[in-house]
Amino acid sequence: MTEWQRLPLHVVFLFTVAVMFTSCDAEHTVVIGSKNFTEQLILGELLAQQIEARTDLRVKRQFNLGGTFVCHQALVSGKIDAYVEYTGTALTAILHEPPSRDPEATYRTVQDAYRRRFNIEWLPPLGFANTFAIMIRTEDAKRLGIRTLSQLAEQAPRWHAAFGYEFLERADGFTGLAKTYGLRFAEPPRVMDLALTYQALADRKADVIAGDSTNGLIIALGLTVLEDDQHYFSAYQAAPVVSAKADSKLSTLHVALSALTGVVTDHDMRRLNYEVDGKRRDIAKVVKEFRQEKRL
Amino acid sequence: MLEFINDNVNEIIQLTTEHMMLVGISILGAILVGVPLGIVVYQQPRLRTVVLGLVNILQTIPSLALFALLIPLPLVGGIGARTALIAMVLYSLLPIVANTFAGLMGVNPAVREAAVAMGMTDRQLLWKVELPLAIGVVFTGIRIATVMSIGLATIAAAIGAGGLGMFIFRGLAMLDTRLIVAGALPAAAMALLANYGLGLIERRIGGRSASMRQPA
Repeated sequence: MTEWQRLPLHVVFLFTVAVMFTSCDAEHTVVIGSKNFTEQLILGELLAQQIEARTDLRVKRQFNLGGTFVCHQALVSGKIDAYVEYTGTALTAILHEPPSRDPEATYRTVQDAYRRRFNIEWLPPLGFANTFAIMIRTEDAKRLGIRTLSQLAEQAPRWHAAFGYEFLERADGFTGLAKTYGLRFAEPPRVMDLALTYQALADRKADVIAGDSTNGLIIALGLTVLEDDQHYFSAYQAAPVVSAKADSKLSTLHVALSALTGVVTDHDMRRLNYEVDGKRRDIAKVVKEFRQEKRL
Repeated sequence: MLEFINDNVNEIIQLTTEHMMLVGISILGAILVGVPLGIVVYQQPRLRTVVLGLVNILQTIPSLALFALLIPLPLVGGIGARTALIAMVLYSLLPIVANTFAGLMGVNPAVREAAVAMGMTDRQLLWKVELPLAIGVVFTGIRIATVMSIGLATIAAAIGAGGLGMFIFRGLAMLDTRLIVAGALPAAAMALLANYGLGLIERRIGGRSASMRQPA
């Protein structure tokens, strides 16, 4: 998103803040936050609509907060009551611990630490995981029968890869991946802007890229995400985090939001992102349709 | 920071060299395309609005968008140095075309009339009178384009073409300020040096001294 595209969201944000300060009925109001990118806005809206539909609480949306730290601080200080966080992000960015490969262990670690240190509850995961994902063109995947990264390793010496800077630099990025699967390409991977790697793959200028697993472009461009059969990538499961200070509201929220457990699959999240980013559709409408479809 | 420079001195030198190559080749390309284009625009008033309009529009396309448009094209597209160079040439055209045109327009009409009266052909007029008189202004355009493209070349790293932008992009991805500085400082130094060096040449051949002070 460019800055001018965000402008309306900034306006919405300021408006919400203004409304927050004038609201007095804190007991019957929950404030839902979100970070500042499409997936987060969708998830924030999903929480908000779920609460509106299943409880008597009023919902204030305070979306588009400037990133993980802002959301976390807002939750800790009680400015918001809930938002959707990713276990891996919480582990590395908030708790400053090394990334872990085990999704269940990661979930338990962040759940315990959040309870002790911040008085914040992790609700059960929504279902999908946002992580690095290695992808190829679906036609190649079908033609050569490649579904997993281990299978990719056999084909890789004939292929060219293009990766973004972060993936090549990070400790849990390409270096470890190449070691785990014995990956070698026809030449060292090209390093370029992440957004352009999708285009390069679609236009056959590269054969393998590393994107993020929930990107809507995966659907739009006809790409296939390869299965991480050796479980190299840390799974960043998404789950609602709720401030336990919202004591009286907590049990109600818990019941309403628990209905979302495991509901959003990887493919669902890609599709939702694609509806909003690719088709430029209204987030509230997209989420409403999704809830009807899932009978929430 | 000093330690960082010490540890990475080879890479800094390598990327700086790549950066200079990108700038050098693209400016050469831009001169080869831009100066003739400026002459055509001067001689064919009908093409003026179209060509000057086009090079102006080129300038406004964001670099990532231009790359995205270039990737699927055969011959000029793809990923790597070639695509980056094409983009840089396109971006460098404006100052060169515009200054070539302005330089030729600025030739004193009396001089032109005298040359025609002496029986010069159009070609002789261009090569022996107009271009020599306009060369200073043309060179100003080349200097501006060069300084501009030193900054511009950092975007080459977005499409796998190397250069000092590699440091900047890596620094941004990893939130590492040292990397960003390691890319930005040599580029800034290069721009200042180029501006000064080309400015000296420009003064000798009679460029516009006022434009010496134009920012990079």
